[in-house]
Amino acid sequence: MDKDPVSKISNIGLTVISISVKLNTGTATSISIIDQISFHAEPGEFVCIVGPSGCGKTTLLNVCAGFTKSSSGMVLVNKRTVCCPHPSRAMVFQQDSLFPWLTVEQNIMFGPKCQDNREADSDTYIDLVGLKGFEKYYPHQLSGGMKQRAALARVLINKPDILFLDEPFGALDAQSREEMQDVLLEVCYRTHTMALLVTHDVEEAVFLGDRVLVMSSRPTRILADIVVPLDRPRAWDVREDPIMSKLKTKIRALIAHPDYVKNSQTEENSILV
Amino acid sequence: MVARRIKMSLAAVILPAFVLALWALGSAKGFIASYLMPAPWDIAVSLYNFLISRGQETSGGGFIVHASATLYRVGLGFSLAAVLGLPLGLISGRSRRFASVLDPSVQLLRSVPGISWLPLAIIWFGIGTTTSVFLISLAAFFPIYLNTMQGVHDVPLVWLQTGRMLGAKRSIAWKVLIPAAMPSIETGLRLAMGVSWAYVVLGELTGVNTGLGAIIMDARIAGDPSKVIIGMISIALLGRLSDLLLIWILGRVPGHRKEAKVIG
Repeated sequence: MDKDPVSKISNIGLTVISISVKLNTGTATSISIIDQISFHAEPGEFVCIVGPSGCGKTTLLNVCAGFTKSSSGMVLVNKRTVCCPHPSRAMVFQQDSLFPWLTVEQNIMFGPKCQDNREADSDTYIDLVGLKGFEKYYPHQLSGGMKQRAALARVLINKPDILFLDEPFGALDAQSREEMQDVLLEVCYRTHTMALLVTHDVEEAVFLGDRVLVMSSRPTRILADIVVPLDRPRAWDVREDPIMSKLKTKIRALIAHPDYVKNSQTEENSILV
Repeated sequence: MVARRIKMSLAAVILPAFVLALWALGSAKGFIASYLMPAPWDIAVSLYNFLISRGQETSGGGFIVHASATLYRVGLGFSLAAVLGLPLGLISGRSRRFASVLDPSVQLLRSVPGISWLPLAIIWFGIGTTTSVFLISLAAFFPIYLNTMQGVHDVPLVWLQTGRMLGAKRSIAWKVLIPAAMPSIETGLRLAMGVSWAYVVLGELTGVNTGLGAIIMDARIAGDPSKVIIGMISIALLGRLSDLLLIWILGRVPGHRKEAKVIG
């Protein structure tokens, strides 16, 4: 893997170049949330970010999506600098973000209407996420999993270059979460959409990701960039694959005991970094 | 389901029926002096006459004349309050700078009881429609302004972020902000409608010729309690009708929550 993202500027995909975020506390010293993070993701690649809670994963995602300004550094998606939110950079939030005053169909058509896109066909995307028959339902009539399906369809209809997901299934029960992971994998595979997903669920990260970025606690740096050597399309039973459990253990160890793992130079850990 | 609804409606009637029965009994047996509280049937006859009369019944005309005068004042005063309260509340709720200029003055004005504006309003506008409209719009402004401001201020950040991410730019106010604040805005408007009816009576008690408040005041001077009660009943009925009309209109505004069950 190329360690220098700057050389990738000419390439398409997601390029993050030494992003730093400092929180201005009003005093002379400012708190550093993110410290010079750089990485690159290829088009169609699914990258997951894990790390200890409160480490700035969501902040990093918000910077990439254009919701938060970074103190320094830059983000490029397909060679274009990210400065503000845009339909080509879709975001799926953890909390319920559907508009309660609109039906499922109207929620999905919100983006195309804003951009005066008359060709957009909501039925295709309603089918894609498996919400056929629920077009006229209001969000309060849907379960948590169905709401996230609708949220997914609502951003996919804009044909985004990249999908940002901020713990999208964190609020769901275990069963719906696995169901939604299968839906997401299927959808990304079929639409060939690049994705950057933040999660605290290590299994989710390994199951979904082509790569897993492990973050340190604040100020956030990338501790490890781990390639998941599992083929696509991945079926649900990949969760039981021995490669997965091995990777999960390593990532958990990295998050919980970063110094211990770094110092032990065994063959087992050579896969890291 | 239907049987259950009929049962519920019957339950609502029990208490008024009981009071009415006591009242009728008291009037018939002479326990209740008719110059203080006329018998229910006397009031019914007066109400009937008032509703159908067109002539010079008390002060210049029948129900239609007085009711339409009152409705006009309520409508105008309420509309003025909404025209001012909605946009100002909207901006105050989103712009801290704007709110820091406007809001302290509004809160200061709000602490002045609406009734105490009456003498000043009479000095400024004389006795008549303008005074009523002024009092109504002044009093109805505050619930509209406050609820709109609070509603707009409390719109979850994630909806605004979603709106921007989906491509809404300037239109985000119409497409996200206002629909999201709609439940609060509706509450403010309904409260303001109630306030409007209270203040129209205040404005009409001051010696105007027409209006349901004028009927009440004339009847008091004439010592006719049944007329006073008729005026009160008319105001209550029209107030309730205007609330129902408002609910009906608000239910058709884009952004109204279909799941929100209107109470009352």
